[in-house]
Amino acid sequence: MKNPNELQKKYVPDMGQKETEDLRNLIQSDSKKTIADYISRMKKTSPNRPKAMEYFDEIANLFGQRQKELQATKESGKKIVGYFCSFAPIELILAADAIPVRVNSGWYDAAKIGDRVVPVEVCPMVRSTIGAKMVSLSPYLELSDALISVSTCDGMTKLGEIMGDYKQVWTLPLPRVKDSAQSLSYWNKEIRATKENIEKLTGNKIDKKKLRSSIELVHKATKAFRRLQELRKGPPVIMGRDAMLVNQSFMWDDITRWTQKTEVLCDELEKRAQEKIWACPPDTPRVLVTGTPMIWPDNWKLPSLVEEASPQGVIVADELCSSDRILNDPVGVDEWTMDDMLHAISERYLMASTCPCFTSADGNEDRINWLINKVKDWKVNGVIYYVVRGCMLYAMEYSRVKKVLDTINLPVYYLDTEYTREDVGQMKTRVEAFLEMLTARIDF
Amino acid sequence: MAFEFLGEALKLIVLAGLATAGILTILIWKKGQATKVTYIRFIIQAVATIAFFYIFTYPIWMLIMLIVIFVMPILLGRLFCGWMCPFGLYMDLITVARKASKIRHRDLPDRLNKFLHSFRYALLLVFLILPIPLLLLEPPQSLELGIILAEVLGGPFKPMNILVGPVIPLVVPWTSPLVVENVYFSYPYLSDITLYFNGIYASIFIVIFVALTLVGSFAIRRVWCRFCPTGSSLAVVNRFRGFKWAPSVHLDKDEEKCTKCGICKRVCPVQVTEVYEQKGGKIDTSMCLLCLRCVEMCPYEECLKVKIGRKTVFKSRNWLEPSQSD
Repeated sequence: MKNPNELQKKYVPDMGQKETEDLRNLIQSDSKKTIADYISRMKKTSPNRPKAMEYFDEIANLFGQRQKELQATKESGKKIVGYFCSFAPIELILAADAIPVRVNSGWYDAAKIGDRVVPVEVCPMVRSTIGAKMVSLSPYLELSDALISVSTCDGMTKLGEIMGDYKQVWTLPLPRVKDSAQSLSYWNKEIRATKENIEKLTGNKIDKKKLRSSIELVHKATKAFRRLQELRKGPPVIMGRDAMLVNQSFMWDDITRWTQKTEVLCDELEKRAQEKIWACPPDTPRVLVTGTPMIWPDNWKLPSLVEEASPQGVIVADELCSSDRILNDPVGVDEWTMDDMLHAISERYLMASTCPCFTSADGNEDRINWLINKVKDWKVNGVIYYVVRGCMLYAMEYSRVKKVLDTINLPVYYLDTEYTREDVGQMKTRVEAFLEMLTARIDF
Repeated sequence: MAFEFLGEALKLIVLAGLATAGILTILIWKKGQATKVTYIRFIIQAVATIAFFYIFTYPIWMLIMLIVIFVMPILLGRLFCGWMCPFGLYMDLITVARKASKIRHRDLPDRLNKFLHSFRYALLLVFLILPIPLLLLEPPQSLELGIILAEVLGGPFKPMNILVGPVIPLVVPWTSPLVVENVYFSYPYLSDITLYFNGIYASIFIVIFVALTLVGSFAIRRVWCRFCPTGSSLAVVNRFRGFKWAPSVHLDKDEEKCTKCGICKRVCPVQVTEVYEQKGGKIDTSMCLLCLRCVEMCPYEECLKVKIGRKTVFKSRNWLEPSQSD
């Protein structure tokens, strides 16, 4: 492995110190405003918002409490491992006594800085992450000692490479055909290699006991996570945006605390469901969002539009790797041996994933099945297929999803956008038209 | 006579009571935990092993065995193998010992596994056909069906003994060469080995066989079940579509709930791949022992189900779901 001090800048142009700082301060102060704005809007939309959301509002401030905490733990000698894709085995990171944080960027303005390195055709999330790193914007990306990049889509593959200009990056090559035995054994070896890398970085050996307790820790989080999603099956007790924020804050929060707070939230929601206090009228159109991941704070425009529109919609489920897919699948260990635990971890990350980067003998059947299941169980009225420009894989799978959803007579709307605020007005019109159609269908 | 009958009935009632008590204890103790079925299965297996000891004390055990081996699978598939077979219990206990020593199991290559599975039918056929030429050489005195059947199954070649091989309890109610303080010990298939070999050869083969099965089942889960001729599934009603009405026990998969996470494939003690590979609906395989480990471990609610006919008796649940008690 390269010595981090000898990293060469192969991609990124040199930027002046002053320009970097200016840009950072500008985006940072802007972003703080955006965060506050979105949270106040979320409060406004649901006047009787659950009290337990206060914690998540706080943790949603990327430049607040959690940054300080991470800084403090880093100074105490713990390592921080960043990751870009939900394929990164967080159990292994936790078992080595390091802290996993997901470092994808949702800043719109950072994407424009990223344009200096990669062309605009590239996925804006990738451009934005590059831009954020160029001006040292994201506190979690800055604090990471190493990054795990998974070669899922083209953007992610090269993002890992470009990030190599700044940090130690471990790229996990993901086999694209999921249901072959070779893929699994290959991926399993990669997971083992990652385990060794993490051990080398942290200096802590991952043993059976530690790995088991970290798997069980994540199990507890999954339990809370699934409980929250279950609650969204009934009449809306929580607005979709709030739930999405809870889901997403798992990416950077302390896992034990996150689990505890989510359980508190679920307790409150359960009580509300018994008392029949709904977050919005129960006949509000129920929307499912699928497609490109939406990253807090800036790229929150679609959920906001849906839930602030008139007629209003409520997001009851999504199929995003930034929200409902983060913790859905548990690591199922048969025998608590090191070998079996590693097998279980590699299976959980490879096989259970419904990422569109996969293909298989029957096409990406798993994603379709899972979508239909979500649509049926969460009683969805309409699907919004959200794609940002440059997100090839999601865009290409649209026709298939549409065909399948047509057979169960479910409206689906393809919404393409960019990392920009300029098209909000236009998007609003489109979303409202779709929601109006859904309302008409429900009344009919 | 009446008292004897009463005594036997009492014995069976005591056994049934033991089983229920055990299941209830485990249910209360393990509430909301993922491995419930495994524990219940262990109890039933243990009780079944004791029951087989009793069954062998009856003169009509052969008839009971015939029902168990040939009639039961028609509706229950290989439920017997997963839940009652004493040899299965020994192998499961060895698996527990392996787990305690923190060694992971090894898997047979899928192809070999499938070959062994079809090989069992060949074995069964050989054991059932071989007595016929022997019978022709030495025709029976009477042509009654019962006597012919008895000759075929219990005659000089004794295929019946081979078929009941795995059911032999460790302690047997008849005399065997292994005797300690008037208790006769045996092991599956030992009597068959002594039937075909004599003297020193028998001892050598016995030692080899016991060592092989012990080591084999330590490394590979349920190794004997993969080619055991007794385990040939006659689950015709499970295999063919015309029998949809029949109340057979089978696994059923909901295609939409499955993310193909592969847990069912990994946890299966006999490496059945159909549960994972099949798209949905009735799982069509005769390799499955119906031990229900996959249903127990499947993390998606109602994805895998055990059905009797059309009625669901047990289904996979979100095993991470917070139970009300904790």
